[in-house]
Amino acid sequence: MSHQDKHWKKDFPINRSQANQVSRRDFAKLLAVVSGGMVVGNGVIAAKAAFFNEPKNEKKQKICAKNEIPVGGTKSFVLENDTVPYILIHTEEGEFYAYEQKCTHLSCAVYYKPGTLTIECPCHNGWFDVKTGNVIQGPPPRPLKKLDVTFEGNAIYVQHPKNETV
Amino acid sequence: MSNFRTTQEQAHPQKKSMIMSALITVLLVNLLLQIWLLYTALNNALEGHPEVAYSTFIASFVLFLASVLWLYFLPEKVN
Repeated sequence: MSHQDKHWKKDFPINRSQANQVSRRDFAKLLAVVSGGMVVGNGVIAAKAAFFNEPKNEKKQKICAKNEIPVGGTKSFVLENDTVPYILIHTEEGEFYAYEQKCTHLSCAVYYKPGTLTIECPCHNGWFDVKTGNVIQGPPPRPLKKLDVTFEGNAIYVQHPKNETV
Repeated sequence: MSNFRTTQEQAHPQKKSMIMSALITVLLVNLLLQIWLLYTALNNALEGHPEVAYSTFIASFVLFLASVLWLYFLPEKVN
């Protein structure tokens, strides 16, 4: 078969050396495009911070009575007009703490481990201090979001800390 | 009459390849810096410091401009 009979060369007329050089040029251009994508991503975060930074509802909300949660026990709840799950913990020291029940690593549900004063994320073995919400060990990068707990008589109220934003 | 680029290419046939590799390396370094800036902006925003995103956005934009201007130095395609 002669060289002229190779019809596929008409369909794919790119020679090898040209194709190689084009691919490196295109790769360099692609890197610039991805670089633009990074700017857009960063811009979205900056825009959200500048224009959609609504303060959280700081209204106090009643959760339950003190005697409804046994020592070492917990109660899950959701605030009004919200879908984020929270957990109210009654520690062995008699204190009450409320945290968002989403691990700061990959949003798994966290649980209080009775008797240890620690909150556990079972997905990747993350641990938080029940008093502060700080990370004790594991992959979570940030402390758990905490709610302020107050009491009126026997009732337990929670509210978002002041100046916290969405 | 030959110009600087033509003479250089005749003297160093591998020069285009070297230039291309250097350009791509710098672009990659720029991109890595931008990934780090994006990570920092996101992490700080989730931690309650969204204002960090303003400065990372400016830095990222400057790096993007540098990357686009950098493409000017890409060697021309061989015909």
